[in-house]
Amino acid sequence: MGTTSDVRVFPGHEPCDHDLSLGTVLTVTGSFRVVADDPTDPRFRDQVLPELPVLYRVARRLTGSAADAEDLVQDTLLKAYRAFDRFDGRHLRAWLLTIMRNHHRNQLRKRRPDLLEDEVAQRLPGHGRDARVDGVDEHAFHADFDPLVRSALSSLSAKHRAVIALVDLDGLTYREAAEVLTVPVGTVMSRLHRARAKVRAQLEAHLDAEDVT
Amino acid sequence: MRRRPQLPLPPEPDCHQVGAVLQSYLDGELGPEDAGIVAAHLEHCERCEIESETITKVISVIRRQRPDLDPEPIERLRGFVDQLERRGPDALS
Repeated sequence: MGTTSDVRVFPGHEPCDHDLSLGTVLTVTGSFRVVADDPTDPRFRDQVLPELPVLYRVARRLTGSAADAEDLVQDTLLKAYRAFDRFDGRHLRAWLLTIMRNHHRNQLRKRRPDLLEDEVAQRLPGHGRDARVDGVDEHAFHADFDPLVRSALSSLSAKHRAVIALVDLDGLTYREAAEVLTVPVGTVMSRLHRARAKVRAQLEAHLDAEDVT
Repeated sequence: MRRRPQLPLPPEPDCHQVGAVLQSYLDGELGPEDAGIVAAHLEHCERCEIESETITKVISVIRRQRPDLDPEPIERLRGFVDQLERRGPDALS
């Protein structure tokens, strides 16, 4: 998707407090042009519906708020609908995420420019009711590690936490995470590697300590 | 370990070469040919297999922290897409 100018601002979208989960790794860069209305492409609905959960997950992470996330996804869908005739048919999710990221950044720039450069505490993944059980067979084994993993994740730098959140928790590919973070795919890979290595080191240290006692 | 753009694996890579792409392999990010080469290496290399299992466990415990997704906003967003197609974007923006 090419980058141009003229970002549409949707009315009724008031400033609000953002818990900018990815704020520390975002910079103001892209924007895009809203094109003529109503391509009315029947493929839009069929292709976009399966992406709604991922879009919402990422929007939650960007905004830190359920209501703001829903608004952000709606704005993304509106923009995507209007630009769908220019979508090249490849990597739909990455295209939608790029629209979302650009729109979110432009919103932030208008509302809370101070947040863009600040070190903003991220919401930690896995708080309270957020914990989900995957893999019944290994549940008992892994559940013992949950507090330790959450602690390890919270100790990561914002950049490392962001890539773990997008890839491991939100299920994005390297390329999609790179789109959201506006970094090269190789950077996503290296950050992910380092982040997981740090979590691994903490888990291994814990296990080693248990062996000693 | 540096994670730069990956070159295609040789047919019989050494452990260092496999280690450089192991994360991508476990994340499903390798192409089928390279994935097959890594899988074949893991079949006969105990050291890499243990490393692979360890990384897999780390990824697994991290992914357990994935937040539950509230179905209600997703349903509302589905409705929004329906409205978008029925009424057009101008009616909703």
